[in-house]
Amino acid sequence: MNVLYNYWKNRHKVLGMNSRNLTYVRPHNLKKAIRIADNKLMSKKILRKGGLPIPKLIARIKKHEELENFDWDKLPYSFALKPNRGLGGEGILVVYGKKKGLSNTWIKADGSLVNVEDIKAHIRNILDGNYSLSNVPDVAFFEERLKLLKLFKPYAFKGIPDIRVIVYNKVPVMAMLRLPTKESKGKANLQQNGIGVGIDLATGVTTTAVQGKKSQIIEILPGTRLSLSGIKIPFWREILELAVKAQIVSGLGFLGADIAIDRENGPVFLELNARAGLSIQVANLSGLKERLQRVEGLKIKTIKRGVNVGMDLFGGEIEEELEEISGKKVIGVKEKIKIKGRNKKEKEVMAKIDTGAYTSSIDEQLARELGFSKTLDAFYAIGKKYEDLKHLDKKERWKIYEKVPYLTATVIVHSSHGTSYRPIIKVRFVMDKRIVTAKMTVIDRSHLKYPIIIGRRNLGRFLVDVNKN
Amino acid sequence: MNTYFIIEYFVKNGVPLDTVVLILMLPIIATLIAFFRQVFGVKAFGIYTPSIITFAFLAIGHNSRWNGVKYGTTIFIGVIFVGMVTRFILKKFRLLYLPRLAITLSIVALSILLMLVLGGTLHRTGLASVSIFPLLIMITIVEKFVAAQIEKGTRTAVILALETLFISLFGYFVASWDVLIKIILNYPWIILLTFPLNFILGKWTGLRVVEYWRFKEILKRN
Repeated sequence: MNVLYNYWKNRHKVLGMNSRNLTYVRPHNLKKAIRIADNKLMSKKILRKGGLPIPKLIARIKKHEELENFDWDKLPYSFALKPNRGLGGEGILVVYGKKKGLSNTWIKADGSLVNVEDIKAHIRNILDGNYSLSNVPDVAFFEERLKLLKLFKPYAFKGIPDIRVIVYNKVPVMAMLRLPTKESKGKANLQQNGIGVGIDLATGVTTTAVQGKKSQIIEILPGTRLSLSGIKIPFWREILELAVKAQIVSGLGFLGADIAIDRENGPVFLELNARAGLSIQVANLSGLKERLQRVEGLKIKTIKRGVNVGMDLFGGEIEEELEEISGKKVIGVKEKIKIKGRNKKEKEVMAKIDTGAYTSSIDEQLARELGFSKTLDAFYAIGKKYEDLKHLDKKERWKIYEKVPYLTATVIVHSSHGTSYRPIIKVRFVMDKRIVTAKMTVIDRSHLKYPIIIGRRNLGRFLVDVNKN
Repeated sequence: MNTYFIIEYFVKNGVPLDTVVLILMLPIIATLIAFFRQVFGVKAFGIYTPSIITFAFLAIGHNSRWNGVKYGTTIFIGVIFVGMVTRFILKKFRLLYLPRLAITLSIVALSILLMLVLGGTLHRTGLASVSIFPLLIMITIVEKFVAAQIEKGTRTAVILALETLFISLFGYFVASWDVLIKIILNYPWIILLTFPLNFILGKWTGLRVVEYWRFKEILKRN
């Protein structure tokens, strides 16, 4: 029953075909922009003009006569041959090197050889439109082959993984790493049985993985023991910025951007998609519609801002998972905390999380604002110096300070002003929805940025992520 | 038969009653196909192929309703099967699209002819007496099948073919349903209801039934 209720509740979060076409593709992707996206050469031109890095074009063949007169010697050792209007990665031929001793013979990913005649036959098929939508005559082109990043080597089968980013309203809303597999014949396409791995937008770390058209959830790379989650994608911010930039350049309001990482040149823009597939939702175990609605109508002025919004809104899945497993909250090096004072007043301040310190400390002024003035005044009224007290033991010392209201203890503090005894008070505060009761040393922090330092002693129920905020 | 005066007028002016019924059935079949696509997610080969096959079934099953299903399905599956096998054989020769399709079409046509003869020798006279137009319609759907095979792969093409068969059979049962025929003849204006219905379908943004299955992992989460 519960599951049925979830189905009912969640049905508005997921983006289906009907809604994708009617609510997003139709109104936001104008015909002119779609025509560009469906035409790889035209996309290349527009993207290059817009300053996006793209694989270099080597040559293109428009007609059969051009094919007959083509100078095969000008082709480099490795290249990718593609149909201009190819669908779903069909009709792409990639060679990795030239065979020594044979004239103009190249080696394919599976080790088989292709000669000029094979390539010619392939190009003829392309020109006749055998790989294009509704078989209209097409153009074939050669472009530089991207080199596989070392990081991806164990994960990719004879091909280049790429990253699909959905961009809407200049905000990246969802992303997926696509891995070519044996079953997909080296193509990074889910439709052809490739693998899609969801990515946490804030960190660029992979989460869940799915394979194939049916979006089967998998944990490890089939045939290996490699976990597909937890891969940190390099150049993450840059990739998101490229995706947003491509949206602005292409005019596609609802864009599926495909970006690869070249070993030498870093992120390279591959392809614009006007009708982004919906499986990305399963790879991220999250609905796209909900996310699209959240960025609807936001005024995003710059690319950086758009990327920030996407990272803030749609990141943190990994953190949540970690919190679930460890039962601890993940916090950054500075956190907003809410302190309850003696006078029932609540104050919100930024605290510095310092795992190098054992105890926490609080600024004197702040302590006064929280209703500890009496405590401090009484403490100072006693007016004993370190030298007066250092020969006493703990019990004897406490005898002196016993009468001070709300004082918890005293502590020796060594600082640039010399060594002194400082008061310790008990403070209750809320950090990341958890209530913490902490004994804090009161010192003068007026010249420092943060009025409060939280030390190890009070961080037992938290994990500190130094990259957060 | 108690028919609406418009229908009577049509018939009086020489339009056969069967033709009137079939033409009035078309909006209903088309709406049905649109409904299957938008609400259930059954794709088939667009809207033309399933509706024309529905009519082919109707023509085959003209004399007996069961014949339409039996022979219609047999011929349909025969066409798709032969088309698929032919493609695998022709793949090696790397032929251009149209000549290859022409060969496929010819082989399918000859196979159907063989099937009819076979039906005749097995005294399945119903099969042999199927008229030529439904046969031609069935044979030419192999083009749709081959196109889908190239664009989306054999698996998807077979699924689409089966969906087409399913919708066509469903449409056939609806269109040959006596009650519906009577209703249309008595109240022909009810087919106008398909307009608002299609407007609603055309604005429908809800999840399709198959998508509840596709996205089950997301949907069942808390």
